[in-house]
Amino acid sequence: MKIKRGVKHDFTLIAILLIPIGVAINFVGAQIVNLLKLPVYLDTMGTALTAMIGGPWIGMATGIFSNLVKSLLNPVSLAFTPVQMAVGLTIGLLSMAGMFTKVWKVLVAAVIVSLATTIVASPIQVLMFGGATGNSSDALVATFLASGQQMWTAVFSTKIINELIDKSICLLIAYFIVIKMSPRYLSKLNYGSIFIKKKAS
Amino acid sequence: MSIISIKNLTYQYPTSEEDVLRDISVEFESGKFYAVIGANGAGKTSLCNAIRGFIPHFYNGELQGDVLIEGRDIREWELGELSTKIGYVFQNPFTQISGVKDTVFDEISFGLENLGVEESEIRSRVADIIQLLEIGHLQEKNPFELSGGQKQRVALASIIVMEPEILVIDEPTSQLDPQSTEAIFSIIELMQKKGKTIILVEHKIELIAEYADYIIVMKDGKAVLQGNADDVLSNEQAIELGCALPQYALFGIEMKENGMDLGTIPLTEKKAISAVQHLLEKRRVTS
Amino acid sequence: MNKIQQFIVNLYPTTKFLIVLFLALSAFITPGYIWSYLVLPICMFLAYLAGCFKEFSNLAIKALLLIVLFIFLLQAFFYPGQEILWQWGIFSVKQEGIQFALSLTSKIVAVASSLLLFFRITKVKDLVSSLEKLGLSPKVTFIFLSTLQIIPEMQKSTHVIMDAQKTRGVETEGKLMTRVKAFVPILSPLVLGSIASTEERVLTLESRAFSAKGNKTSLYQVNKTKHDLKVRILLLILFILLIVWRVLS
Ligand SMILES: Nc1ncnc2c1ncn2[C@@H]1O[C@H](COP(=O)(O)OP(=O)(O)OP(=O)(O)O)[C@@H](O)[C@H]1O
Ligand SMILES: [Mg+2]
Repeated sequence: MKIKRGVKHDFTLIAILLIPIGVAINFVGAQIVNLLKLPVYLDTMGTALTAMIGGPWIGMATGIFSNLVKSLLNPVSLAFTPVQMAVGLTIGLLSMAGMFTKVWKVLVAAVIVSLATTIVASPIQVLMFGGATGNSSDALVATFLASGQQMWTAVFSTKIINELIDKSICLLIAYFIVIKMSPRYLSKLNYGSIFIKKKAS
Repeated sequence: MSIISIKNLTYQYPTSEEDVLRDISVEFESGKFYAVIGANGAGKTSLCNAIRGFIPHFYNGELQGDVLIEGRDIREWELGELSTKIGYVFQNPFTQISGVKDTVFDEISFGLENLGVEESEIRSRVADIIQLLEIGHLQEKNPFELSGGQKQRVALASIIVMEPEILVIDEPTSQLDPQSTEAIFSIIELMQKKGKTIILVEHKIELIAEYADYIIVMKDGKAVLQGNADDVLSNEQAIELGCALPQYALFGIEMKENGMDLGTIPLTEKKAISAVQHLLEKRRVTS
Repeated sequence: MNKIQQFIVNLYPTTKFLIVLFLALSAFITPGYIWSYLVLPICMFLAYLAGCFKEFSNLAIKALLLIVLFIFLLQAFFYPGQEILWQWGIFSVKQEGIQFALSLTSKIVAVASSLLLFFRITKVKDLVSSLEKLGLSPKVTFIFLSTLQIIPEMQKSTHVIMDAQKTRGVETEGKLMTRVKAFVPILSPLVLGSIASTEERVLTLESRAFSAKGNKTSLYQVNKTKHDLKVRILLLILFILLIVWRVLS
């Protein structure tokens, strides 16, 4: 049977049920990172997972909902909603293009996703928040500025370094989790079949 | 005319290796009580899925043969339409929670809200069902915090409140004690008295003997034996097919094998007593 | 609950939104930064009236303190400007930078505290219910409410899984590498466990006619009262006055 894809077809009930799970994983994943005191954020784990198996639109929706929920406690994050959207959208598109089937491809995808988020996040950070984000990466921005760089390059450089680390880890973990999912489940998602291991026949 | 008609139904899940339903043909008549029995993995749940249209609409894969609901091909029905026609309570109580309601009362209302029933009517219908199922003490609780048995009753309540014509119920008493099980059966019987068609998957054979009109025995995806409850449950062949018979029927068969034919094979305690009395009287007369 | 508290809490969600929208907009209409900063204490006062002062203040500090501080630091030291206020080696604090930081942060503070106030005095359930009346899809409502139920459930599971993995010998403390290695065995059962049930939850939703066509009803209703109209009119008058004052001055 031919699978229909696109905004109109991707929001099947099973995909819709995936969104709250993705949002919850964004939060709980970040909390586990905190508990383990890891030096990364990994607050887009859930968006990455849902985008990989649910496609770009489901991924984007997960991003939007995550930031809406986050803004209940911290409205500043509302401004960064486009960044989460970009994460979902790019990962979904890369998944369609078969970029999450081998480890080296995942790493290439991480570079692309990092670029995309940096391009979306930097203007928000510079224009709306004067280059700051309110977390420890601001120290790096300051260092770049002190070394004589312009605000835009300082923010861009900081962002891309952070994102490359964060997204590589995030996507690798998401990849290892997705390939463990049962074919029975994956077969019901519009973008899941890519991850079903071909039976040796 | 049959309300549901299944003809030569064969089906395989897209991810399963072989057919899980094989050449099944059954006619379901309106208002009757059907019981589906069989070993684990026999395909009982899959048959229910096919009747409710989840096969093929949700599970995909190719359905061969025909499933007709009120004469219309299952492939032409939409899942949304069927929700008012066929109520389906399934096996696992833990996943039968909407996940968006804070109280049992609201949980039971969810189906009626989706159907656009008016608020005052929802309230009275839900209150009635809560009374019927004796779950008044749960109505303010969070559905997530219920035990398995409580969830099972809430799941049943959430479906029968929608008053579908056909009720498909897959092992509704697996988490319940004997007393609550009896209570569930009497509710199902009440539904039948209201004219609903009942299709029940159940292992507890004594209760089936008491309530079911018609029995379908499944094995390896096939409907290996079917017929009126009395006939199937007194059929020795049923044992060979892996189907447990009620203890009174076993007793009757045993008696017959030992040369003491009761004349019939009794299915319930009452019938067994009267058959034995009958036999004893006959012996007294002949001796 | 006292009377004022009840009055605020019982306002219709969109009315509450208009209040905070008015506050946020006023920060942009009024010149300078003083009024914008004042929006924060105003919101604190309203939060106090609504009975959520502590919650509001805690969250406001958490959300705003660091970002405001960092904006000041970055702008004060690195904003291009001439008027040096303070110098230390190659670093200097410039008047223009401070000015810029003041105007930027004051707006951020105003908008963020208005929104924060809104979310403190409005239950999500009320908000989505009112939005549904305005035509929001029930699917969106579903996702929201479901998310709010799943997060605490998943947090509970996290602790269960963490304990289980610890007893199975997965180290969660110590060197960085050990802690990194602990992440996947904790996260992956969480993910796989929660998606395992979605298949049957779809069937649950279908069985409850979630995808049936036609209008849905909702037992949960938020209703406008006569107070809502009064508040809206008051806001409109204030807004007009503000504009008039701005144009004339
Ligand atoms: N969604 C599915 N995808 C693939 N295979 C399935 C699926 N559901 C069931 N099966 C397989 O189909 C067969 C029949 O299963 P089914 O659940 O219909 O049996 P059952 O009679 O209801 O068993 P039980 O008494 O355990 O409930 C089994 O071999 C099972 O593994
Ligand atoms: Mg079953």
